[in-house]
Amino acid sequence: MNAKDVLYPAVLLVVIVVAWQTAIRLLAVPEYLVPAPSAIAGAFDGALLRHAATTFGEALLGFVGANILALLTAIAFVYCPPLERSFFPFAIALKTTPLVALAPLLVIWLGTGLGSKVVASMLICFFPTLVNGVKGLKSVEREAAELFASYGATSFETFWRLRLPSSLPYVLSALKISTSLAVVGAIVGEFVGANQGLGYLVLVSSYHMETPAMFAAIVCAAAIGLILFWAVGLVEARLVFWQKVDRP
Amino acid sequence: MSAVQPSPWTSAPAPVIALRECSLTLGTTAVARDLSLEVREGEFLAIVGPSGCGKSSLLRLMMGLLRPDGAGQVGARAEKLAAGMVFQKPVLMPWLSAERNVGLSLRLGPGRIVSKAERTARTERALRLVGLIEFRRHHPHELSGGMQQRLAIARALVAEPTLLLLDEPFGALDELTRATLNRELLRIWENAESCLSTIVLVTHSIAEAVTLADRVLVLSPRPARVSATVEVALPKPRSVHFDDLEQMDCFRDAVRSVRAGIARA
Repeated sequence: MNAKDVLYPAVLLVVIVVAWQTAIRLLAVPEYLVPAPSAIAGAFDGALLRHAATTFGEALLGFVGANILALLTAIAFVYCPPLERSFFPFAIALKTTPLVALAPLLVIWLGTGLGSKVVASMLICFFPTLVNGVKGLKSVEREAAELFASYGATSFETFWRLRLPSSLPYVLSALKISTSLAVVGAIVGEFVGANQGLGYLVLVSSYHMETPAMFAAIVCAAAIGLILFWAVGLVEARLVFWQKVDRP
Repeated sequence: MSAVQPSPWTSAPAPVIALRECSLTLGTTAVARDLSLEVREGEFLAIVGPSGCGKSSLLRLMMGLLRPDGAGQVGARAEKLAAGMVFQKPVLMPWLSAERNVGLSLRLGPGRIVSKAERTARTERALRLVGLIEFRRHHPHELSGGMQQRLAIARALVAEPTLLLLDEPFGALDELTRATLNRELLRIWENAESCLSTIVLVTHSIAEAVTLADRVLVLSPRPARVSATVEVALPKPRSVHFDDLEQMDCFRDAVRSVRAGIARA
């Protein structure tokens, strides 16, 4: 990463925060409407960080679980086309069903604890990796497949040394999409039924008109998404080093 | 008492590969019809023809990657052909270093070489042969197009094949790189120490075919047949005479014959 990649956004952030703070002071905007950055900073406390940790854990579990499952499904689809034919329409149906509509059901089935949030997160993360995984595993060049055939490679060797590495660029761009979705899934789950987490905090703060706490929770949610995205970006840069990838 | 005369038929060496009456249909397209040809031991055979006439399919037939229709036969002298293949694209694995790419075939299939030392020795020999030993740790995206194609040739040579099948390997390269690689290919083929004896080259360049090959087969448009065979009498070793080949009368004669064959096809 270039030093300017850090410096420029940091400078912009400072400018925005200062302008925001000044505007609130000058225009005397009431705090319950738009809080000043200083008020938001004041809302950062131990309780907030505990809520953030809960959401982070849910999103991470959902992200990891969904992507492992999606990759295994993609491999099954590619090696067994009838399976892909039968299941793919249902995978699309699952994708098009709004998660918000499913979330109450998850809470009924799995309770208000961790389970419903992780599954909500998994439901929303699953599809992009499945689609990209299938596409990636099928992206092998004809000549490369012929080369492996001419070497007498076993189908496991062809999978391990050709198909799987060929799919990496596709899979990693799907993982990056998944990172932000994972946080969305966890927070939607918390909205519907929870007693902790950032979603719960946003909801409760809105009842009490504690706008600074809401803002602080939103900042935390964005930060969790950024951290996951950045971590996947680092992995991508290591694994798919031959491609010019988006900077995390 | 009479000595048995050796029959002239048995003294001729068996062809390395023979296609007899091969027809090939891919989908609804008739790619080849009743095509017969032989690849002789020790020769450099070039196959030219209009684009889309099925030259590449022909190589895939020889390689056993495609099967001919019905009654067609593809015969090889050896049960298992010791053949290397190079495509128009280098088809390198971008996640592997140059030496790993070259040594790939040594780690795969029943002919896998378990000994790491043996693999390394063979890989280094192949890399040296194409002049890329100092780039062994580079990855394909760090190499130029010509170097990538040389790597593909090294990969084909690493298994020490006696036969090399080349599918327009220099088609995507610029003229200068192409000439360099043509000369290198001749040098490798004419190198007495290498076990490589026979090369089949598919190309759309008549000049390249005549420069390199002992024999040029001209294919007709689809469905492909052999419409002409031209013997090239250029002096050997060609890698030594390389720069003068195009000025020679027999070069021009051969080019003319190939052109006539294409026109007739």
